[in-house]
Amino acid sequence: MGLIARAVEQFGVATTVATWNGDRTWLTRPPRVLFAKTARGSTLGAPGDAAQQRHVIEATLALLERDAPLEPVTLDEA
Amino acid sequence: MTDFTIPILEDQAGWAARYTTGWLKHHQDTGQFDWKLYEKPSNAQPIAGGAVKLSQARVVLISSAGGYLRDSQAPFDAPHPYGDYSIRLVPTGTPLNQIAIAHDHYDHASVDADRQVLLPLRHLEDLAREGVIGSVSPNVINFMGYLPDAARVVDELIPHIIEAVYAEQADAALLVPS
Repeated sequence: MGLIARAVEQFGVATTVATWNGDRTWLTRPPRVLFAKTARGSTLGAPGDAAQQRHVIEATLALLERDAPLEPVTLDEA
Repeated sequence: MTDFTIPILEDQAGWAARYTTGWLKHHQDTGQFDWKLYEKPSNAQPIAGGAVKLSQARVVLISSAGGYLRDSQAPFDAPHPYGDYSIRLVPTGTPLNQIAIAHDHYDHASVDADRQVLLPLRHLEDLAREGVIGSVSPNVINFMGYLPDAARVVDELIPHIIEAVYAEQADAALLVPS
């Protein structure tokens, strides 16, 4: 996803990535990325846990209100 | 196609040569996947970009979960050993039970129980209704995230995605890997 984020950002559209696999994602240097403490196959949170999913999504989207490049942001509670 | 000032993948030609003579050749010769031979794509140079006002932004979701319309689209070629570099556009308003998943490289238990762990269509609609984001783009951009050839990601997949992002008239993109 990092490579795609780099391309879309340079195309002029701001990007933000949510990932459970922060080390791998950060290798490619996406402009904005949130490291979520979630799992492979359920990046945004546990099945049925709408509150957790919303929390991860909103934290990831909030990065769009900051200029890139950003250092990765870790969401400790999710 | 957009002419990128900063490389999407630095030293792409070198990476592709090492991939071709290493991981790919080993698989072609033996039929075996040896991930110790696989060089993870990496970059050193960051990409700059301006902030957006979220409450006024049209957001497009880009998902690597392998989602496609069960009744009207061909599935991704999930079993292919070298990946499938195509995309599927799925209308954002699609009922979640009409989206199927073609991706052989993660456990589907969570996404089968709740599509929104990877495809948060209803959450994005809620966020637009609440004014957190300006709007959601008409379509979600889907691909299948098992893509070992990073050079093909740059040369084949990314042009499809850029074209789709342009068509969606998005101001911002939320990328959710699986």
